[in-house]
Amino acid sequence: MSWILIKLAWRNIFRNKRRTLIAATAIGIGLAALIFVDALMIGMAENMVRTATASFLGDAQIHRVGFRDTQEVALTIQALDEVTAGLAKEEIVEHFTQRTLAPGMITSPANVSAIALVGVHPPTEKFLSQIDDAITEGVYFEGDNSRDTVIGAKLAEILEIGLGDRVVVTVAQAESGDLSQEMFRISGIYHFAGEEMNSGMAFVRIEKAREMLAIGNAAHEIAIKFTSIAYSQDPTLPFWEAYSENGNEVLSWTELMSQLTAILDMTKISKYIMGAILFGVVVFGIINTLFMSLYERMFEFGVLRAVGTRPFGMARVILFEAGALAIVSIGLGAILGFVLTGVFTHIGIDYTGIEMTGVTMQEVIRPIMKAEQFVIYPVWLFIFTIIAGLYPARHAAKMSPAAAMRRSF
Amino acid sequence: MEQARKTDVIVTEGVTKVYEADGIPVNALNGIDLTIQSREFTALVGPSGSGKTTFLNVISGLDSPTEGKVWLAGQVLSEMSGNELSDFRRDNIGFIFQAYNLIPVLTVEENVEYIMLLAGVPKAERHERVIAMLETVGLTGVADRKPTQLSGGQQQRVAIARAMVSEPAIILADEPTANLDSKTGADLLEMMRHLNAETGMTFIFSTHDPMVMESATRLITLRDGRIDTDETR
Repeated sequence: MSWILIKLAWRNIFRNKRRTLIAATAIGIGLAALIFVDALMIGMAENMVRTATASFLGDAQIHRVGFRDTQEVALTIQALDEVTAGLAKEEIVEHFTQRTLAPGMITSPANVSAIALVGVHPPTEKFLSQIDDAITEGVYFEGDNSRDTVIGAKLAEILEIGLGDRVVVTVAQAESGDLSQEMFRISGIYHFAGEEMNSGMAFVRIEKAREMLAIGNAAHEIAIKFTSIAYSQDPTLPFWEAYSENGNEVLSWTELMSQLTAILDMTKISKYIMGAILFGVVVFGIINTLFMSLYERMFEFGVLRAVGTRPFGMARVILFEAGALAIVSIGLGAILGFVLTGVFTHIGIDYTGIEMTGVTMQEVIRPIMKAEQFVIYPVWLFIFTIIAGLYPARHAAKMSPAAAMRRSF
Repeated sequence: MEQARKTDVIVTEGVTKVYEADGIPVNALNGIDLTIQSREFTALVGPSGSGKTTFLNVISGLDSPTEGKVWLAGQVLSEMSGNELSDFRRDNIGFIFQAYNLIPVLTVEENVEYIMLLAGVPKAERHERVIAMLETVGLTGVADRKPTQLSGGQQQRVAIARAMVSEPAIILADEPTANLDSKTGADLLEMMRHLNAETGMTFIFSTHDPMVMESATRLITLRDGRIDTDETR
């Protein structure tokens, strides 16, 4: 019984090919848009996270409790040797590096600028940040000259200096607060799209920074890269507790960049809102199409009722038609979505240099296709289509056969 | 009365139907009392608006009377639920329409077997009965064709096959020859007379066609929703 109704519905939607094609295309465009937006948002989120974590932040960081709020130079990581020894044994940790961080002043013959003086260990730092990749002039800490410094292009412009020029860096020492000054030579200039890194930081070797800050072998920050970034979003890992002791705290990038996490959550909500709007449009489109089809074939429906089709059978014809329309629409939408997303994945969308929530895009955004986009959204579309079909189906079921066949009997 | 009705195919008692047309009540049927016996070949005639269509609607359960009762094959239609009425029509009434009204997206075979599908007849039996029925109405080799690939006469033959394939007690035909040329109409009428005689099915026609009127064994004339004349030949 159902089979003949399915056959009837499937063939019916192709009776008016143009109308079906227009309706299916409209619905398909909605689905394609949803697939594309989802892929774009995934691509954008991954891009932002990658930019945030790979350029300098890392997947997680360890600090002394209170350091992030006060930037107090004396608040160095407790039991540093124990912490680093532990990290070296962690299976989920791929790389880590120690840093010192201190507010300071950089002076050139022409100008002066406030900076964050960052002491880095170049061999391990290169795995945690992209400064070495961003060098546009000079080199990234080659040799063993302790007076080398690497600064951003914007800072070089402010200070009106170039490669090989000398600058003086002034910082306050831990505990005593005495000023410490050292002369450095510009060994490398990098360019990042982000303003803060481009103009507000100067990198020196960590040994020299420790000496200037008088903190012995201490460090203010350990940046960590996991074997998979997914670990940074898994709060159940014992890792987080293990390194949040002795007055230290370990935080994932989601906590370090809470505004980024918030914006990513917001993009998810906006995606759902957009999906709801699109599905809303689709629902009314389907109701309209099915009613047009119903009224166009009113007499035929009357005949079907007259020869013994039960009211629920009539409803099923409409629901099967809705399902058939959904299948055609899903086919069109999936192809369209695949092509559209594929094209933009290939060419990318260039937002480089644009800053969003403190993250400056470093590379073009490429939408990322996932299998579930071609499963979950079509399934939802199918369900919505069937739900949309309930109203005309109810109408068909309640239709009086005599009224439907007003031309005859 | 109840006992007699078991042997009658259709009995109506004081059937009245009042429609609302633009807020104005229209009396389409005005207390029709009628009994139609099994095997009758009845023609309902009368001018447009006389109530033929409404009467056929009411006796087939497609519409309900405002007042009065209809017994069909011994059962009171107004006492049935929507599903019961659908099943009852499927099992007891065959419909033939003026404009054939085959389902254009189904093949000839699918159109004819549709009612049997509703009744849950097995596939092999359906096929066998469809082919036999098509042969009876003089259509062979068209089972796989769509209705639009057939002439008007052929389509009406398919409609007759659809109406008769489930062997209903009653065939209700609405102007079945109106859209056909005289020869095709005469051929089909002859075929229906033959099937009436052979199977014992009761045929009730609504018609303006003199040829149908001449063939009828009973001629009922309706006027203003009332039976004007009732002539048995």
